[in-house]
Amino acid sequence: MAPPPALPVHPPSGPHHDSKPPKKSQKEMTKAERKELQERQRAAKAEAKASSQPSSSTPAQKKSNKPAEIVPRPPPTPGRAPREATRGAAAVAHETAAGANERGLRIFSHFGLPKAVSAPKGDIHPVTLRLALQFSEFKIVGANARCIATLIAFKTVIQDYVTPQNTTLSRHLMTHLSPQISHLVAARPMSVTMGNAIRQLKLEISGSDIDLPEQDAKDLLCAKIDQYLSERVLAADGIIEENGQKKIKDGDVILTYARSSVVEKVLLAAHESGRRFSVIVVDSRPLLEGKRLLSVLSHAGIKCKYILLPSIGSIITEVSTVIVGAHSIHTNGAVYSRAGTALVAMMAKQHSIPFIVCCETYKFSEGVQLDSFTKNELAPPGDRIATFPLTKPRESLTLANSPHLEVLNPLYDLTPPTSITAVVTEVGIVPPNSISSIPVALGRLL
Amino acid sequence: MAVLPLDVYEAYLRILKDPDISQPLAAIGVSTELIQASNAGTTAELVNETFEALSELKRRTPGSVSVQAGCDLFIAFMTLFPHEADTLSALKAELVTQGQKYVAEALSYRDKIAQFTLGFIKDDSVILTHSYSRVVMKALLNAHKTKRISVYVTEARPNGLGLKTYAQLIEAGIPCTVVLDSAVAYVMDKVDFVLVGSEAVVESGGLINAVGSNQMAILAQAARKPFYALAESYKFHRHFPLSQYDLPTHTPSILSFPVLSAGSSDTHDQNSGTSPEVAPGPDDGNSRARQSSQAVPEWRMTAEQISCNPEVDYTRPDLISLVFSDVGILTPEGVSQYLVGMFAG
Repeated sequence: MAPPPALPVHPPSGPHHDSKPPKKSQKEMTKAERKELQERQRAAKAEAKASSQPSSSTPAQKKSNKPAEIVPRPPPTPGRAPREATRGAAAVAHETAAGANERGLRIFSHFGLPKAVSAPKGDIHPVTLRLALQFSEFKIVGANARCIATLIAFKTVIQDYVTPQNTTLSRHLMTHLSPQISHLVAARPMSVTMGNAIRQLKLEISGSDIDLPEQDAKDLLCAKIDQYLSERVLAADGIIEENGQKKIKDGDVILTYARSSVVEKVLLAAHESGRRFSVIVVDSRPLLEGKRLLSVLSHAGIKCKYILLPSIGSIITEVSTVIVGAHSIHTNGAVYSRAGTALVAMMAKQHSIPFIVCCETYKFSEGVQLDSFTKNELAPPGDRIATFPLTKPRESLTLANSPHLEVLNPLYDLTPPTSITAVVTEVGIVPPNSISSIPVALGRLL
Repeated sequence: MAVLPLDVYEAYLRILKDPDISQPLAAIGVSTELIQASNAGTTAELVNETFEALSELKRRTPGSVSVQAGCDLFIAFMTLFPHEADTLSALKAELVTQGQKYVAEALSYRDKIAQFTLGFIKDDSVILTHSYSRVVMKALLNAHKTKRISVYVTEARPNGLGLKTYAQLIEAGIPCTVVLDSAVAYVMDKVDFVLVGSEAVVESGGLINAVGSNQMAILAQAARKPFYALAESYKFHRHFPLSQYDLPTHTPSILSFPVLSAGSSDTHDQNSGTSPEVAPGPDDGNSRARQSSQAVPEWRMTAEQISCNPEVDYTRPDLISLVFSDVGILTPEGVSQYLVGMFAG
């Protein structure tokens, strides 16, 4: 007698469980289920912080009264899981198919991609607009050049700024500068040098005297920017030039990779002081920046050779010193620089050739990075910047149209401190693993 | 240029006669004497004068990295550190007393280093050392008081200073054997660790010391033996050599090839086919070989040949296990961090 009544009860419970678990009322839920729901709500809230409201942060008991409203897309309960999952996968597949360009790059999707300059949000100064375009089109490249250009642009922005009523420059200027900064970052991810300089600028702004007349305060800030540029960048370069050129001797063969403004200065200074040496410029796609260095050096009368990265193995034995620049340098001594530098460093280490990095202290980044995957930037797809002589029309060589092929061009890589001999800075030549002691010795933060 | 109130080089040599004073300390001693004798009217003049005198001293002692280290240390002390003196004469007095105090204090550094080293010397240790170093001697004699040690010392050509170490150790009752410089690899497996002194410790954390130290460090690493360097902190020098040839002591004549006249290069070519080293007699064409083989039956380097050789070499930091100094037992990176803190601030 027991089975018959049991049967009608059970079948409904099966489908019922399957089809509409979210409609289960609060009381029907087991304790575990309720807890799970809360967890999900919390996760969903973390995802969509924007939608979070003060009421949603009330204690859990209250919240659980209206779970359906709060959770916009409740993740599947165990019974519903397979269907939901396939649907999700299909959706993702559809999305990827739509954005064919992104497909192969998904594991690198966190790398900053250069975007076309978006419509400016907020009050963007024309100088910033122009600079953003120059950044995104790689008209201004290089950590130093970008930092200098940004600071000079900000001088104009500050001079054209007028403090609104009922506020003060020291409190309001930063809110005016922030959209400018985000506009620049939207064009191309911020360089470490820009980050350090902007942090210093923020410090100066917040520290500026409230009682100072507006024009005086602006002039003072511009003077501070000039001081930063001349002390941390230009004077530093001068000392690096002085220190670095001492390491170049008569008859040396110097190898350098891509193009660094500091290395260029060091080589020119050594040439001017009458030393006879030759330079091998190693270069690689997609930017081929070495060509600019090559033209500058050969115009100055330095003997140069130009090779591409794959052929480095055949000339590395001739080299007496490798000198390269850096985008930034981490606390552990690892150097973040143009992609390919790590390879050159490894080759130099393999042949016990000294590998020198020229780097100003304002390029120090207080973080530690262990590989070049956690943070990197992608060169623009296609090769609209490369200007290698081509006989065929560029379109016929572009690979982007092939559906099964993705072009991945990270802009930077990380050279481990073990393959670096010395870092030339304006406070002297130091081994890479002593980098962290410099800010301490100078008694300041970066 | 103004006439210096003192012949720096003569003063330097006089101070150096004291067997306990090493070159950097002598340089500091010269500086204090110079300031005492100086009749500069302003602080700037005083600084300039000291600067010039020390440059002169550096010029007169080419090849001495440690003199440079001492001079740089004193200049850093003069210019970088805050002084309390109000008047010039008070400043001069302060510099002189501080300098003299430093020299006096520095004499105790070797005892301190010897004490640090003691913790790393086990009973029954076999130690390999190179040439002669006062601080290594102090460490070994100090260890001998409490522990049984035996020492291999290299001969250290061309000066043969290893024999001086040998004589002093034997006199103190420490078993000691002199090994050839070319036998370092042979003896390496027998020793527990290598202990060397230093001419200077440079910013990379590497070591400048009597020639032969570098190969000893390379062999020690190949045999997985610790390589310890002992250095007083006044020997820390702000210089970053990239290679052996980047040392201030390197001159073009070191390792240069002789210019052969046409005739002798001819005979050389003839000879290279036969075995020139062994056959002393019959080859009439080779005048050089005949000369030397007739005069002395054994082969010796001439002074001219020796002059083509370096006196010091540079040991890379990755070959050095630890640097013992009076400021503590440092890793090679620690040395460069200390130097950055010292001179960059």
